[in-house]
Amino acid sequence: MILCVDPDADALAATEAALADAGFDTVGCGSLSAALERLDSTMVDCLVTEYELPDGTGMELIGEVRETTPDVACILFTDTPIEVMDTTAVGAAVAEYLPKEAPDARSELVELVEHSLVFRSQTAYPVPENEDARLAALARYADDSEALKASFDRLTELAAALFDLNTATVGLIHAHEEEFIACHGADLDTLDREKSICTYTILEEEVTVIPDVRDDPRFNADGRLEAAGIRFYAGAPVVTPDGQAIGVFCLHDDESRSFSTRDRELLKLLAEEAMEQLELRRQLREATGGAPDV
Amino acid sequence: MSDGYAFDGLPLEAIRPGTSVLVSGPTHAGTRNLALRMLDGGDAEASIIVTTNQRAARLAEDCERVGFDIDPGRVAVVDCVGEEDEDVAARVVPVSGPADLTGIGMRYSKLSREFKSDGFDRVRTGVVSVSTLVSFGELRSVARFIHTMVGHINSIDGLGVLFIDPSTHDERTVNTLAQFCGGRIEVRDGENGPELRARGLADQPREWTSFDPTSER
Repeated sequence: MILCVDPDADALAATEAALADAGFDTVGCGSLSAALERLDSTMVDCLVTEYELPDGTGMELIGEVRETTPDVACILFTDTPIEVMDTTAVGAAVAEYLPKEAPDARSELVELVEHSLVFRSQTAYPVPENEDARLAALARYADDSEALKASFDRLTELAAALFDLNTATVGLIHAHEEEFIACHGADLDTLDREKSICTYTILEEEVTVIPDVRDDPRFNADGRLEAAGIRFYAGAPVVTPDGQAIGVFCLHDDESRSFSTRDRELLKLLAEEAMEQLELRRQLREATGGAPDV
Repeated sequence: MSDGYAFDGLPLEAIRPGTSVLVSGPTHAGTRNLALRMLDGGDAEASIIVTTNQRAARLAEDCERVGFDIDPGRVAVVDCVGEEDEDVAARVVPVSGPADLTGIGMRYSKLSREFKSDGFDRVRTGVVSVSTLVSFGELRSVARFIHTMVGHINSIDGLGVLFIDPSTHDERTVNTLAQFCGGRIEVRDGENGPELRARGLADQPREWTSFDPTSER
């Protein structure tokens, strides 16, 4: 879904029509507040906004989007000259910019939207090279059964006891967030992908260990992990039989600690065990024609 | 597809259009000069250089020293440092500072569109240096900025040259930024002067190879 924001009704209609012609679903509105409401209720992949809005600016809107749904591709599609726009307050937001007055501006816009979505080029983290195949693989293992949760609850409880630390989780890495299927010792539901260490773990074949997150420039900026009691991190990718890293089996603790070669091997075994659970349940679903919990 | 971006007088093969490379090494080993030389595409190509830690006038001097003619018809500078330098030959576009990544990105895409409408279909883009951006902002924001810029460079079949001095950063910072790029060129101070080697790029020297960071074209 593409959210288009423009207080000029004719311009908004033209923008939506151009995107709809290219096969995109669009929704339009004319103000900052209406756009924020939309973002609350609708899953948006891309935002196309004017700069001057009756109740604020498109830059403010983009700043808000980066807080709430950071992966959204943001495009400032505007009549306002660059020199007039104040970007200092939202210098970290980052957005594409396209002047609206160019003769073929809307076809350029369509190209820019397509490119931004295909390459996910506005994420703050590296995306695996085979991301589309990875997400397709993940979809095959979608399973919200209580039986799977119970089995992962047992595995994470065993893991926390085995390594003698606070928290063990199994999370699946979706397009924009990590979903925790099981979480022993903490209360985690989902996490934006750019805020999750596991986002980086799936880029590596081996186990990722961060002895102290305070020393890691990728995660120490906002103190959020520290506040959540996460100082030590170890994660092993959960990899499908055809090689796609769809999730992570991970461990946290509130103290920095070491992690031996043997520990890494054991964590890898746990990730393999989690994958086997997912795989067997997938096969069971296929064999039973998608019957629920067995 | 059009021919690769070529590098006169450097021990590098042409690089495929749409590629961005991280050029990493200490400034004193000639890494910055190497990046500037890689941005010089001659008369038929345009160049956009984001200067983050030296004002446009200083950048122009450095370019001159490596034989890179900053012709305003084909070279533009996004200046995050100085007041407006009226006496610089190149097209200079000021930004409030290196923390204004949004402002830098918007000016960059505006210049890129201007060169396109001027008839240039080959554009080299440089950031000298990414190190400054990292020291003024959160890694997450800089990563988004670099990812977006690399995406833009890819969409216009351009060439990206991103200079970073790894000695001032954690290795994980450099590796994260490198992952957005198609490849990496590392520079070191060798026994007989500066040397480079490439990673992740086809047909480039994988062993340390001497280069002359200053020679004129």
